[in-house]
Amino acid sequence: MIKDNEYEALEKIVGSQNISREPVILDTYAFQWCAELLNVINDKPPARYYLRPAAVILPSSTEEIQQIVRVCNKYGLKFKAFSTGLGPWNCVSTPRTIQIDLRRMNKIVKIDTKNQYAVVEPYVSGAQLQAEVMKFGLNCHMPGAGPQVSPLASATSMAGPGFTSASTGFAGRNVLGVEWVLPSGDLLQLGALGQKNDPDWFTGDGPGPSLRGIMRGFVGAKSGLGIFTKVAVKLYPFPSKPEWKISGESPNYKFEIPNYLKFYIINYKDWDALTNALRRFEEEEISFMCYYASRGAICASFANSREEMFSYYSIHTRLKRPLTLMIGAQTEREFEYKKKIVEGLIQETGGKDYTKKIKIRDVSYAEALRCLLGFHGFLITGCFQSTHGGMDTIEMAIRMAKLNAPIKRKFIEKGGIADDQGEGVWLATYERGHMAHCEMPTMYDATKPESVVGWVEYAHACDELDLKEHLGIPFFIEGDKQHEWYGPHCMNYHIWLRKIKEAFDPQNIADPGFYITSKKTS
Amino acid sequence: MTDLQAKLIEIVGEQNVFKDEDVLETYYKRYADNFLVKSPIKPKLVVKVKKKEDIQEILKLANAQNFSVVPVSSKAVDPNASDAPHSENTIILDLTEMNQVLIVDRKNRMCMIEPGVSFGQLFPIVKKEGLRLLTPLLPACNKSVVTTALEREPITIPRYQWDSSDPLLCTEVVFGTGDLFRTGSAAGPGTIEEQRASGQAQKNPLGPTQFDPFRIIQGAQGTIGIVTWISLKCELLPDTRKILYVQAEKLENLLDFLYTLLKRRFGDELFIVNNLNLASLIRETSAEITKLKGKLSPWTLIIGLGGRQPYGQAKLEFLEAELNDIAKEQGIQLLNEIENISNEDVIKIFDNCTKNPWKLRYLGGSQDIFFLTTLDKTPRFIDTFNKIVESTQFSKDDIGVYIQPLVQGCNCHCEFNIYYNPSDTNIKQKARELFEKASIQLMDQGAFFSRPYGIWAEEMYKRVSPVVVDSLQKVKAIFDPKNVLNRGALCFKEESA
Repeated sequence: MIKDNEYEALEKIVGSQNISREPVILDTYAFQWCAELLNVINDKPPARYYLRPAAVILPSSTEEIQQIVRVCNKYGLKFKAFSTGLGPWNCVSTPRTIQIDLRRMNKIVKIDTKNQYAVVEPYVSGAQLQAEVMKFGLNCHMPGAGPQVSPLASATSMAGPGFTSASTGFAGRNVLGVEWVLPSGDLLQLGALGQKNDPDWFTGDGPGPSLRGIMRGFVGAKSGLGIFTKVAVKLYPFPSKPEWKISGESPNYKFEIPNYLKFYIINYKDWDALTNALRRFEEEEISFMCYYASRGAICASFANSREEMFSYYSIHTRLKRPLTLMIGAQTEREFEYKKKIVEGLIQETGGKDYTKKIKIRDVSYAEALRCLLGFHGFLITGCFQSTHGGMDTIEMAIRMAKLNAPIKRKFIEKGGIADDQGEGVWLATYERGHMAHCEMPTMYDATKPESVVGWVEYAHACDELDLKEHLGIPFFIEGDKQHEWYGPHCMNYHIWLRKIKEAFDPQNIADPGFYITSKKTS
Repeated sequence: MTDLQAKLIEIVGEQNVFKDEDVLETYYKRYADNFLVKSPIKPKLVVKVKKKEDIQEILKLANAQNFSVVPVSSKAVDPNASDAPHSENTIILDLTEMNQVLIVDRKNRMCMIEPGVSFGQLFPIVKKEGLRLLTPLLPACNKSVVTTALEREPITIPRYQWDSSDPLLCTEVVFGTGDLFRTGSAAGPGTIEEQRASGQAQKNPLGPTQFDPFRIIQGAQGTIGIVTWISLKCELLPDTRKILYVQAEKLENLLDFLYTLLKRRFGDELFIVNNLNLASLIRETSAEITKLKGKLSPWTLIIGLGGRQPYGQAKLEFLEAELNDIAKEQGIQLLNEIENISNEDVIKIFDNCTKNPWKLRYLGGSQDIFFLTTLDKTPRFIDTFNKIVESTQFSKDDIGVYIQPLVQGCNCHCEFNIYYNPSDTNIKQKARELFEKASIQLMDQGAFFSRPYGIWAEEMYKRVSPVVVDSLQKVKAIFDPKNVLNRGALCFKEESA
């Protein structure tokens, strides 16, 4: 796979202790959550390992990454970046591709408390960043994937919806200055960071057109156009008093709920009432979190075990279309104002307050603040992945949920995916309700081939539904096959995307498997 | 009649192709005296278009016959001369008659408009639907709304600017190649009509998929594509208003308070102006401005609050009480009104446009220098600028300053307005000298000219990494390989065609 002289050239850059081609090490990079799904999608057996990289290398600096990329160019090797590495899109997708593991680049470079941004390296996690910025009364956006993942990866290379998106936006829209090693090895600094005099991180746009336009879109290029080594991300006000007092042992932690925070579960009788409620709550600009999760998801969100989840059965039957809301405030006055608005809106929108009927532990507040609620999706089968993902209006997202349910039920009946009555939905609002996205977390058993195949078949039906019903472009339209399917239905965007790849990486040195392939390869 | 003229007539009809000297002169005059334009060039022809298909045809012709096309969407003169040709062989594509308001959607807080739609046209339409526009500070009524969004002009409500690209959402664009494209969720699947039937409203600017072409079009001064419509983010129009003020002798004394408001996301309109600019915004004539200016503190922070029924009053009460507490804690005097200015006059500058451009009211002429920085750095830039004013012996009394926090407080637009009487040649020359000297020195000090018009472009691109320039040129080569769009602008030199 990798020749001795190639390996030695790489070893010279980082030292022998920071590079490996031992299969036992390499396979740890190929073992990934959802790898079995990708294997089936690519007509392979549902193995839980994806491709083994040719080598793994751990640089400690931007300069070392530039040197590594230049070695790749010299020898025709490909590279694939790996930060905190959740999911198979972090894996290499072609032979002779080295994995560049960025875990040694783990610094919070700067926290600008006044101008509300932080500069981070790839291996800083959301939890680490939040712990530091909350000391200044600030918060960071974290994606639904959780606090253990890299804000840099989310902001530059992946998607970016989060439980707190109503007040902390979308990862790709929180980007300011960026440091980026191109597939050539050149260093591109976006915005004010690229100027020679007093370079700074406060903007990533200009001069003139914004090169953020080629950096990523609704989703990122997943290292298909280089490696991001530092990024400045916007920070947001911490929603309450920035206190964090936790005790106990997993999973029964105790959390002292800081002033001033409050969870609400508000039940609506049907989709129309929910649509109106989501809109109205967001128009009043009071939420820290505002989303719809199906009744099953609500029960899972506040349970620590399957048994506990099933104990909510009576609540489950009474919940119809529950809206999850959290408000936060800095002062008692602000808290009282927001509570008053919530009470008014519940009445105005015809909702029923179910908050007291569900046992919301104090630690659920910590999970909400730390963007941990998604982990409860693993409770039943040990594995799930979402389908759909299109983002535009609340109305479109609701329509997607409605249209999806009968299709999902069909696949549940067929066997394979777990039975959530077709209702498993997470629908989050963004930026005070200006946008919403909808995805369908779908539980399956990663150890059973028929379940994996069931998920893949259902996901394909979801992609077809989005095309047919004009529900936006799903999260996982990536790679040549998917782009060439969706592109002709969407202004032939794949032609332009490929031109970008060809202009910046004609030889496909940056692994194109989860992006698009240059056809200029000699 | 030239061959080119004949071909253009074939596309748009004789009545829409202009070669008369007086017509060309009208366009030329829009930018000829602008300090940003080194050597003004008269266009060869002016072509008015109303259909995207015509734009496509014209750009295909430009590719075949190697001429440059500069789009113009505003009837108002652009103070930054972005419509000035940089190449001898240029035609102006006048889009002012593509002026349909295609959609106003209260429920989804957006509108969809063509490039020729002006603020004067759009304000009443959106207000009627209960919406407010996110606009630059008191824009000219005949200015194109699309142009301000495409040019990343600063908006006055920072808390509504989640991303630097706001309020621009989706676009329909004809790239330099002549290909039609739609960006963001408007790309598909489905036509716009089909998307709207599915509940979409072209709200998501991101994508399609793994790139954001709208960010490449924005800030490009018409060098990447010609936009035929945009969707624009709107907010709900408040029915209850309150204006608060903080005045200061020194700018530094306002910044901590302003930072606190930005962090708490308090305040709708939120900006700082010096006394001359505040007077120019409020009064209509030079005499009135001069009189009022003398009675104002050097610096004023303006804070607009707004709410809507049924919770508007409660919101304003809560906000005012919070702001008072913060002010007290920081030793700031928060004012409910300023002497000699009525709150009604101030409210009028919000959600409104003017037929009497506020920067021309004082002396009839203004040249602006603006850039992005952070609030804490603004005193340093102001100090530098004042020293240059002194060294050039320009009157410091004729300088306006406007500081606009952006992107929820992550950065700010810092603007100096050099006011002068355009018929006074001596003063005009001094103003030009100040403009040129200050632009360079501010750049050298790290002022980030993110929108480098005219002569700024060459200076600015010298001051950024060559990888940035190279990357921009690669992008340009994808979407406009023959460099037919605004040839010579930014870092896209004529010789690269």
